[in-house]
Amino acid sequence: MLKAAWLIAKKDLCLVMARGGAWVQSLLLGLLLVFVFSLALPPGAQATAQTAATLFWLASAFCQVLAFNMLYALEDPTQARAGLRLAPVPVQAVWLGKTLCGLILLVAAQAVFFPALMVFLAQPLGPGWPVFLALLALADLGLAGLGSLLGALAPGQAARESLLSVIIFPVLVPLLLAGIRGGEAAFSTALPEGLTRWIGLAAAYDAVFLGAALLLFPFVFGDDR
Amino acid sequence: MKSATTFSTWPAWLGLCGGLALAACQYLIYVYAPVESTMGVVQKIFYSHLPLAWWALVSGGVACVAGIAYLRTRSARWDHLAYAGAELAFVLSTLALMTGSIWARHSWGVWWTWDPRLTTALVLWFLYAGYLVLRHLDLPAPRRAVLGSVVGIVAFLDVPLVFFSARFWRSIHPAVFASEQGGLEPEMRLAAIASVLAFGLVWASLLVLRARAAALDARSATLAARVMDEA
Repeated sequence: MLKAAWLIAKKDLCLVMARGGAWVQSLLLGLLLVFVFSLALPPGAQATAQTAATLFWLASAFCQVLAFNMLYALEDPTQARAGLRLAPVPVQAVWLGKTLCGLILLVAAQAVFFPALMVFLAQPLGPGWPVFLALLALADLGLAGLGSLLGALAPGQAARESLLSVIIFPVLVPLLLAGIRGGEAAFSTALPEGLTRWIGLAAAYDAVFLGAALLLFPFVFGDDR
Repeated sequence: MKSATTFSTWPAWLGLCGGLALAACQYLIYVYAPVESTMGVVQKIFYSHLPLAWWALVSGGVACVAGIAYLRTRSARWDHLAYAGAELAFVLSTLALMTGSIWARHSWGVWWTWDPRLTTALVLWFLYAGYLVLRHLDLPAPRRAVLGSVVGIVAFLDVPLVFFSARFWRSIHPAVFASEQGGLEPEMRLAAIASVLAFGLVWASLLVLRARAAALDARSATLAARVMDEA
């Protein structure tokens, strides 16, 4: 299953890189969000670490929605979805493959958002960056796993883009709050309180939703009855 | 077992009993339970708010359990129950948010505050609003039922995580039944419990009637499709 998942992830990455446009679009949207917010600040004012972290995760969440809409639309023009479904591998390999590809795209976008925030919002890199990295890893895993499950909800539907946002954002609330606390740790000179329980919460979230996604994905993707 | 579309009067009787019990609760609320010293008579809204919030959560639980049962059995009856549960979760959480907002204005001086329970109720509202949007997509009925079940399960799994994350963030909500923090007077507690139980009867009646309406809706759609095929 892991080999099949990796092959699907590689296939999706090649297609995304070849077509390019949609992923660049999500990257630009995140950057615009950061840039427009920095314009809204009065001259000389500095955004708080929490505001910068919130912007980082908002940009990441928008990027995730666009990335998974794009990943599940890749098979639409050639009707290759039926081929994926008929492949002699567990259907969860498709979920895992899309999760891996989405994770790579998300991390690549965040690698641009983070320095952009440091520049546009004048955020220093604080001593809490290792905690930030731990929470980033957990939050990204949850974002990618859940995005991969819910991204497959309504393929071929014109309303898919807005539907995914409407359903996924409320579900992501705990993970985004954990991520924001992690971001605060990265941008503050002092560590915020209670970071260990946020790591615990993000880990619990990942355990619940990655497990649920493994069980539920065959119903979402493998069954069009 | 009888079909979901078979006419039966027991849900109506259940609703009637619930209505009478709620009417009796008004005596407990306005005569038996004392008027709260700080908030005055506005505090009485709590006896509507609490049952709405609790039964909204139970409705979400019903949508989740019925969704699991549907995915296992593929019996349309479970899907109708899941749909009814999700719709009730949406309606009741809307009302709980409205009554909670009135409470917040008088108690805390603001219409809204980011308290764990309020945040959880709002997230619950968004989740089931999304569920209802999904249910109105132009999809084949079995596919819509499968996707609805998946979203219903995911939504309910999220509720405890939202609650804990919001609690870690900040909290000012009163601890209703926690005696170490003051909690409620015994008379108020009795009135609150009676309100929750009485509303439970109305809730059960609404759930069954809505599930039956969904079954009738599905049946009429099938009949309409058959007529179209024959024409």
